[in-house]
Amino acid sequence: MPKLAPVVEVPSAGGLNDFESLVRQHRSRIFRFLIASLRDREAAENLTQDCFVRAFKARDQFRGGSTLGTWLMHIAANLVRDHEANSRLKFWRRKLRADLDPNDLSDWIPDQQKSPEALALAKEQVDAIWRAAANLSERQRTVFLLRFVEDMDLLEIATVTGMKEGTVKTHLFRAVQSVRLGLEERK
Amino acid sequence: MNPHLARHLTREQISKCLMGDATPQESQHIQDCAVCGAEVARLESSFAQFRGSIRRWSDQEEQISRVREIATMNYETHLERLLIPASVDLPWYKGIVISVRELIHPPKLPPLEVTSKPVKLASLKGLYGGHETTAGLGSVIAHVAVVALLLFAGTLKPVQQAMKEFVPLIAPDLKPLQPKPKPEQSKGGGGSPQKTAETKGELPKIAPKSFVPPIRPQDDPKLAVNPTIVAPEMPNINSPNFGNPLAGVGIPSAGNGIGTGIGSGKGPGVGPGSGGGFGGAAYKIGGGVSAPVPVYRPEPEYSEEARKAKWQGAVLLQLVVDENGVPQDIKVIRSLGLGLDQKAIEAVQKWRFKPGQKDGKAVPVSANIEVNFRLL
Repeated sequence: MPKLAPVVEVPSAGGLNDFESLVRQHRSRIFRFLIASLRDREAAENLTQDCFVRAFKARDQFRGGSTLGTWLMHIAANLVRDHEANSRLKFWRRKLRADLDPNDLSDWIPDQQKSPEALALAKEQVDAIWRAAANLSERQRTVFLLRFVEDMDLLEIATVTGMKEGTVKTHLFRAVQSVRLGLEERK
Repeated sequence: MNPHLARHLTREQISKCLMGDATPQESQHIQDCAVCGAEVARLESSFAQFRGSIRRWSDQEEQISRVREIATMNYETHLERLLIPASVDLPWYKGIVISVRELIHPPKLPPLEVTSKPVKLASLKGLYGGHETTAGLGSVIAHVAVVALLLFAGTLKPVQQAMKEFVPLIAPDLKPLQPKPKPEQSKGGGGSPQKTAETKGELPKIAPKSFVPPIRPQDDPKLAVNPTIVAPEMPNINSPNFGNPLAGVGIPSAGNGIGTGIGSGKGPGVGPGSGGGFGGAAYKIGGGVSAPVPVYRPEPEYSEEARKAKWQGAVLLQLVVDENGVPQDIKVIRSLGLGLDQKAIEAVQKWRFKPGQKDGKAVPVSANIEVNFRLL
């Protein structure tokens, strides 16, 4: 799997105290994870903000056991779980899901001067994955997104989600199997 | 053969490899085995597309949200506004304790000091000059009169008659405008089996049917007929010999194709395609060209390894159905692997079609065919 450039951890003297640079550095990543999980820009924006406020409030509890990015992602994953667990929102969220047009996503395929046919095929595949990801359970989706969008390894995912590595493997395996099934059904 | 190459990876093992949780043997197998390696690479590229799309999409969405909060770009200030002061932000258990205590022993509040006094206002009556009663009565009478007039008018015969009459309306034709069928753009080619490629030259006359091909003209014919080809109107050049105006200069030749045209293709046209016309392809479905219909379609066989791996899916093939209904030029567009592509091609080669037609004549038509492989 091609590894992407890791998020550069600038070891600033302030660390968490330099809030401005903390937000600048990690905002995009947190926002990406949240919007991919929730598929709702408003909610993702709110939770991104919540994530940083929570991090700021709990800055004394950060002991440097993991990288700052992993710690923030841990908070974000918890926020997603809380958001999903909030039963009052369930009805509206389902409605939003139904409204969401998955064609939106396939418009964003990075086209490296592909032939129209290859592009159409790629669009179909991205659509299929996106649809399949929508039907995953919250945990499976989180693990799936962390693995394949954020490109984390299994240990990192275990830290972020607070699950054991074996549990992460189980969830990820089920997620991958369902997404593959979704990909094949589309063919 | 290595022992670990003996069997392909199972579906589960491939999923594990994608997760990054493969055993060393499995990783080695993926490097050595072309089939499993291709499968993993295909899935990985799908996931990479997905990742790229998500990243671009989220960047775009973030741009929108950033633009919106441009006024609060200073995150420090923004954070200060968000944080609740410590005096207000009590933990919930302390809040409960305080509420219970206040319920039992309500804190003594200082006596309420009223700083304003009530003012007596003048009556509203008299603001309208004392004619309120008359005006109200007049309004009621006027309304009743109007309603009574309407009811009375409704009971009149001519009015009822007029209401029953109706004017028939003609529904306008609101069908969506259909685009006019495009003039068919057929492509074709020609040539005769000569060893060299076609030469530059003047394009022969264009006719609906090629009676005399431009190659090997007969010496001293009894009835001279100009050689013709089947093609659309094309730019032409002045040249002593017949040839393709777009070709390079060389030894006079009509190309190495089959048929009576010019070029490397098949049929009476110009270029590398088949049939009449100019260009590099068979006719496309649409624009007056009907689709070929399969009349004999034997089922494809399963390959042994695909059956073992419980491999399912569909192979997409592209082919040209010639004027006899026989498939030609079968190419795999979407492959499935594990020998199923080959089986699909073998099966489709046996298929027979009712050829596609243009103006009532069978013509070669290019088509895509999906061959499904399902295990029961």
